[in-house]
Amino acid sequence: MLKRKMLKNWGWPLRIASRGTEVTRLYPEVMMELPAAERGIHELDATTCIGCASCARICPNSCIEMVTYKYGSPLKNKKMQYPQIDYGRCMFCGLCVDECPAECLKMGKKVTMAGWEREDIVRGPDKLAVKKFTAKEAAELAAEAKRIAAEKAAAAAAKKKAAAKEGAPAEGAAKKVAKEGAENKPPKKAVAKEGENKEANAQEPKKEDAKPTEGGAS
Amino acid sequence: MTTASDVLSAVQSAFPGAVLESRVESDRRLWATIDSNSIVDVCKHLSEKLNFDHYSGAAGVDWIARKEMEVVEIMASHGAHQVVAMLKSKTPRENPSVKSLANLFWNANWYEREIWEMFGINFEGHPGLYPLLLGDELVGVWPWRKDFKGYPDLTTGQRAVERPTSEGYTEYFIPPTPAEIEAGTVPKEKPKYPSFREREEKEIKSDSEMIMHMGPQHAMLPGPFLLDILIEGERVHKAFLDMGYIHKGIEKIMENRTWLQGLTYTDRMCYVASLSNNECYCGAIEKILGLEVPLRAQYIRVILEELSRIQSHLIGTGEFMTLIAGVGYAPWNFMIIDRESIISLIESVTGARLTHTFVRFGGVRNDLPEGFSDKCRSALKYIESRTKEYIELFEQDPIYHMRMENVGVLSPDRAKRVGISGPPLRATGVAYDMRKEDPILVYPDLDFKVVTGTRGDSADRIDVRLREILESIHIIEQCLDRIPAGPIKTETKVPKKIPAGEAYYRVEDPRGEMGMYVISDGGDKPYRVKVRGPVYATLQTLPPLLEGVYIADAVAIAGSMDGCPSEADR
Ligand code: SF4
Ligand code: SF4
Repeated sequence: MLKRKMLKNWGWPLRIASRGTEVTRLYPEVMMELPAAERGIHELDATTCIGCASCARICPNSCIEMVTYKYGSPLKNKKMQYPQIDYGRCMFCGLCVDECPAECLKMGKKVTMAGWEREDIVRGPDKLAVKKFTAKEAAELAAEAKRIAAEKAAAAAAKKKAAAKEGAPAEGAAKKVAKEGAENKPPKKAVAKEGENKEANAQEPKKEDAKPTEGGAS
Repeated sequence: MTTASDVLSAVQSAFPGAVLESRVESDRRLWATIDSNSIVDVCKHLSEKLNFDHYSGAAGVDWIARKEMEVVEIMASHGAHQVVAMLKSKTPRENPSVKSLANLFWNANWYEREIWEMFGINFEGHPGLYPLLLGDELVGVWPWRKDFKGYPDLTTGQRAVERPTSEGYTEYFIPPTPAEIEAGTVPKEKPKYPSFREREEKEIKSDSEMIMHMGPQHAMLPGPFLLDILIEGERVHKAFLDMGYIHKGIEKIMENRTWLQGLTYTDRMCYVASLSNNECYCGAIEKILGLEVPLRAQYIRVILEELSRIQSHLIGTGEFMTLIAGVGYAPWNFMIIDRESIISLIESVTGARLTHTFVRFGGVRNDLPEGFSDKCRSALKYIESRTKEYIELFEQDPIYHMRMENVGVLSPDRAKRVGISGPPLRATGVAYDMRKEDPILVYPDLDFKVVTGTRGDSADRIDVRLREILESIHIIEQCLDRIPAGPIKTETKVPKKIPAGEAYYRVEDPRGEMGMYVISDGGDKPYRVKVRGPVYATLQTLPPLLEGVYIADAVAIAGSMDGCPSEADR
């Protein structure tokens, strides 16, 4: 009796083994299929990142550092600061992705990042970026930004002049204007937005309707 | 049914004037500040007269602004009623000292030792205030006090000074730098106590006895802890347990992280049960905020937590099989293969295999992906058939029976007294499950029963785990049928600063009762987070359970507890 039971149990592994369940994965020849939600290596859309550093602030391990990067849009990201991630410290928690207001930081399905040196796993925006401007586009954008800045400066100077001319009695009105500006976002910014829209249209037409409409401030 | 206000009035009438402050949060939660002179009497009264037979733990809190310290005793009942009483007693910050409950409740011992070594609160009448989690060189710095300035650097090898010990060995000593002494990070006076080694050697009574070390690195252990057994021949006379090899200080780290950042640390207390740890933390904060979780999110949480329970039980049981080696190595491999399907399911929702960081305050991070329900059902069907096979396999294997039956028997009374929870407690026949006792989420609407055993031995503990897998499958199937459409996060914006308040939230971790006591002072970081984990209680039970057994059985007993030192050493 006892022997029979034991024999039966010894047969058990054989039965299971013949079922054809996948036991060993042939990594790295065959990569396992990963779900869409996978939290792998980050992917940065440098064309929309606004350089707000929210991702760097939320990171529990402080592995995100904001560094300068050329191929982004100076219209959105004035200082051209983009996240650089130290994967020696990253724990793939995904909080940075959740916090990103522009939804430009995502986590992809890539998971391998072996390197010879410590620096190899510190990935700057150039390595993280899945979407970026070409050198030419970036130059154009920079020129555009310059032009807008100049325009803005000119407009501001003109305004100042006008305000000075009107003098003391118009002070209240000037204040009002200033306040209005603050409410609907200052006119200069609206110009910037428009310019950027033109540029960005080619890149990602979808984003356009998501943008806040500038209540006729220009 | 006894409610919290009944308990409060009973205490007030039995001890007039002893309750200094009180708050009835709900039917199930009572908060009271008790006069520190009568805390022992009140607890005694609660346990003897009011069915509070479960001493669940204690937490220390340093209220530096108020110049006082607080010890919060957490008292509950094994099913007689569902009130959890949080009893606070206060003591001044200068020479803090409270009365010990260790003579009243056996399992208060470890909780008080931890509070002593972390906060420096003395417990009058405690049988042995020795450090539990901290290394000897750190005792006396009282690291969890709010004015703690950081550990002295005692690990930098460059400064090490060689010195011979009395036994002729060479020891390395790292003297603190003058800067550290000035900063006040070096303890000025160290408490005196016998070391772990001295304590265990004192117990050697005859020449035929010796101490055998199992650990800190041992094939039997799922993580590092030291189990020293005093043996005479094959018999274990006494067992000693030392922890803290991987103490991470997570509770303190969380005080220095924002509320949301703290979530990632709960994952890492025990990576096999990270979803229930997430749940526990978020649940406590939702309680403080009074947040309502959308129904769909609640269902998603339940589904994932039950999936996580299944995989935890599978790995726990499988690992155990390798330990006793009686049935061979095969079940471990099979269980790991099975577990893989569950892990992939969870991964398809959360995006991570083990450390999920998935539950959010007032919701969850992701919605279920398309086709999840079908995939889940087919995986569960497979797991169900496999689990039934395992149960049958263990039931009929004679070697397994000889090895496991009547080994490490816990009687229901003893199990309740030592404060153990989860499958080891249920194996004794006590149907104590947080999902029923302190129902959260949609658990009250779901139909499931609490799996219990009859004998309370090692075989029963494994059996309870396996049958719980079937029960979890049943729960998930119901959830998949009922899950409504809708949002997965609350509409209410969760503030960066959580309003001042406190909450104690309990979930049923795969290993037992898991509770988190969270205090907010209105800032963007927690003021204090206390984790009452199930494994802590399990490990505390181990030494007395090992007394009188054979050495080989020590492995069968310790393994069947499914203890994860990482969680106890959080
Ligand atoms: S995934 Fe987490 S750890 Fe990694 S960079 Fe983002 S926030 Fe930091
Ligand atoms: S990636 Fe997102 S969060 Fe980080 S700087 Fe760019 S826009 Fe801000």
